[in-house]
Amino acid sequence: MQNKPKVLMLGWEFPPLINGGLGVATSGLSKELSKLVDLSLILPKSDINYVLKNVETIGLNNFDIENFKLRSSDHDYTFLSNIDFVQANLLPYQEKEIDLFQKKYAATDQFSLKDKLRADIDVFNTNDLYDGAIGERVYNFAKLASLIALQKDFDIIHAHDWMTFVAAMEIKAQSGKKLVLHIHSLEIDRNGPDSKGWIYQLEKSAMDYADAIIPVSHYTGEMIRNFYSIPASKIYPVHNGIDQVQSFRSDSSLPEKIVLFLGRITGQKGPEYFFETASKVLEFIPNVRFVMAGSGNMLKGLIEMGAFKHLGNKIHFTGFLTQEKVRHLYSIADVYVMPSVSEPFGLSALEAAQFGVPVVISKQSGVAEVMPSTLKADYWDVEKMASNIISILKYKGLRDQLVKDAYHDLSKISWTKSAADVYNIYTHNLLATN
Amino acid sequence: MPNICLYFQVHQPYRLVEYSFFQIGNNHFYENAILNKLVLDKVSNNCYEKANELIGKLIEKYPHKFKVTYSISGTALVQFENHRPDIIDSFQKLNKTGNVEFLAETFYHSLAFNYNKEEFEFQVQKHSKAIEKFFKQKPTVFRNTELIYNNDLAIEIEKLGFRGIITEGLPHILKRKNQYQLFLPKDTKKIKAILRDHNLSDDIAYRFSDKNWKQYPLTPKKFLQSMSKIKDNAETINIFIDYETFGEHHDEESGILKFFEKLITEICENELYSFKTPSELIQNIETNQILDCPEYISWADTEKDLSAWIGNSMQYEALAKIYSFKDKVWAIDDEEMLETWRKLQTSDHFYYMSTKQSTDGEVHNYFSPFNSPYDAYIYYMNILSDFELTLKKIIKSKK
Repeated sequence: MQNKPKVLMLGWEFPPLINGGLGVATSGLSKELSKLVDLSLILPKSDINYVLKNVETIGLNNFDIENFKLRSSDHDYTFLSNIDFVQANLLPYQEKEIDLFQKKYAATDQFSLKDKLRADIDVFNTNDLYDGAIGERVYNFAKLASLIALQKDFDIIHAHDWMTFVAAMEIKAQSGKKLVLHIHSLEIDRNGPDSKGWIYQLEKSAMDYADAIIPVSHYTGEMIRNFYSIPASKIYPVHNGIDQVQSFRSDSSLPEKIVLFLGRITGQKGPEYFFETASKVLEFIPNVRFVMAGSGNMLKGLIEMGAFKHLGNKIHFTGFLTQEKVRHLYSIADVYVMPSVSEPFGLSALEAAQFGVPVVISKQSGVAEVMPSTLKADYWDVEKMASNIISILKYKGLRDQLVKDAYHDLSKISWTKSAADVYNIYTHNLLATN
Repeated sequence: MPNICLYFQVHQPYRLVEYSFFQIGNNHFYENAILNKLVLDKVSNNCYEKANELIGKLIEKYPHKFKVTYSISGTALVQFENHRPDIIDSFQKLNKTGNVEFLAETFYHSLAFNYNKEEFEFQVQKHSKAIEKFFKQKPTVFRNTELIYNNDLAIEIEKLGFRGIITEGLPHILKRKNQYQLFLPKDTKKIKAILRDHNLSDDIAYRFSDKNWKQYPLTPKKFLQSMSKIKDNAETINIFIDYETFGEHHDEESGILKFFEKLITEICENELYSFKTPSELIQNIETNQILDCPEYISWADTEKDLSAWIGNSMQYEALAKIYSFKDKVWAIDDEEMLETWRKLQTSDHFYYMSTKQSTDGEVHNYFSPFNSPYDAYIYYMNILSDFELTLKKIIKSKK
């Protein structure tokens, strides 16, 4: 190839620091995309033990700002300061109340980047990029990433999720290069269709400003059209891929069948529907155990509800688990359930299928587009969800068929394919000469 | 002078409700009566009414030349009788012209031959009786569900007194034999087999509205050209298609009815061809070609075997389960239970459970009332669980 496109990618989560699908997807895509383009990846935090071949990886935690020549733009982020900051749990990934920009910058401030040049890179030396200081991190990331960007040569800016969008807009404003937003999750997925807070505003401004938007499913593409009023002509869904794993089955040492939920215990993931489904199933077939793996703000309430309903010995809570323990759970599970209220993709459903576990998902999930071999129900349809679980436990023919068909579905999914799709968007839709 | 044999399949199943696990033991009504009536009305209006009218018109115009043959499943006949008696009337009216023949099949459009010979025989006889009742004809030629066929079936059908049997003309079965002649099924004495020309039949049944097909749009002229390419020693060209092709699978706007009317008119005006029914072919044409078909074949999907219904583990399990009740259901001799059990044998239920992908998968989905093959299986198995419970109760009460 004569001229490889040069891509400046902005990421947030990245291995080994992973909260959900975002880090896995950024890493999986980068690895394959680096074979097609010249790729530089700016992250809030990188680990020298986890560096991809052929990807220039810049972690801001290791960044030496003093040696940079400073320039800045007049791009105005008034929309961020004009909104009323609601003091509540708007952020998906943590439970403490957050103060965003207003402590440092009065709400009436016009804060453009040129006025605030000294970044505190310390905010990136953390194991939880989403804790209290997230607003500051987003802002500092924007400052530093744009400084770095201005000293680089690139054709395309590719930004993953809202945390990188201030940076993405700033870099586009200063460089005039094409901007691609990769949407792994939306504020309205995490907090419902009424979420119109500052994160929504940020997502919407960035989408309006971007040249192309890549949602991880058609489902999310529809959400972007309907809830953010973005024209379909700018939206190019690309499904996530999956890394091959050496899957295995283990004995659970329990006499009962195991039904597994795995994910953050937050409203988006529908843990309370899993709970209700479990109660319904147990009414009819008692020899089943339900396992909820993960942590989140709804965990405590659910544990109490379990005790109240006397389901304590049938529903187990594991808390947050390492990858090794997650894989062990997959290997002993008989059914995997993902009752998400709104799930842009749902990588864990594919992972469960890799381990030969039949999958039950909500109809509000993007993953069904690449894995039709699942049983589906609306997230609120507890009866259908329960009936699906019971059917898998009861009918061997169904179980065998779902597992077999899902392997077939998996064989058609790869990061190589996802990267090729992204590459086509770069070359056909963004860089094609007019 | 080659003959042309036209046979149309008419079938409607009893589609089932979305029967949840929690209904087992509480709800013994399995059929989606509303949907069944809706579909019957829709297809009657789009197809049966208009197509029968057209066939009637053509017979009136060419009373000494045009002939057609139908096979109407028992489940379709009963649904017509209950909801659309006008369709029965119009078939009876066609029958009175004397230019129409009716074939035998299993009353419940089932796979009984593959699972239970005794039950199969019962269903064939029940269907023949129904045809006699409605049309005062005793069928002499048999077609099995979806043209499923093998050597054993031909032997069985001969035993039941039929003189002819219909199946698909497949190259690997024909080898180099002439499919436009008749056949003697292996190890039979008197029965003859008639083979479907799948190229010509599917030009009308499947490809007619396919805009990517190089023959599109199909005209009577193009079709006659294809027919004329058939080699000289052709005795009969057999075009066997679903009747729903006319107005339902291809809607009226596609021009399918006009095409058919013009095609038949041109054939009737052409001295070269004449129409024959299957029983006439068997009476008039001698043959010494042996048809040897040890494996099952059918007219369905790309594979043209049993895989549309008996292809995946759900289908195996569901079929094994429904036929496992045979001895018990026969023994209790309860009319309602027998009828319920038999309607659950209709091949469509298993067709909906197919997990094939690509084009064949799309055809399966087109017909299925359910969201997925897994749902089709779950509802069906839940129903069988309820049926089994009811059966056990009845057996217990009779002891």
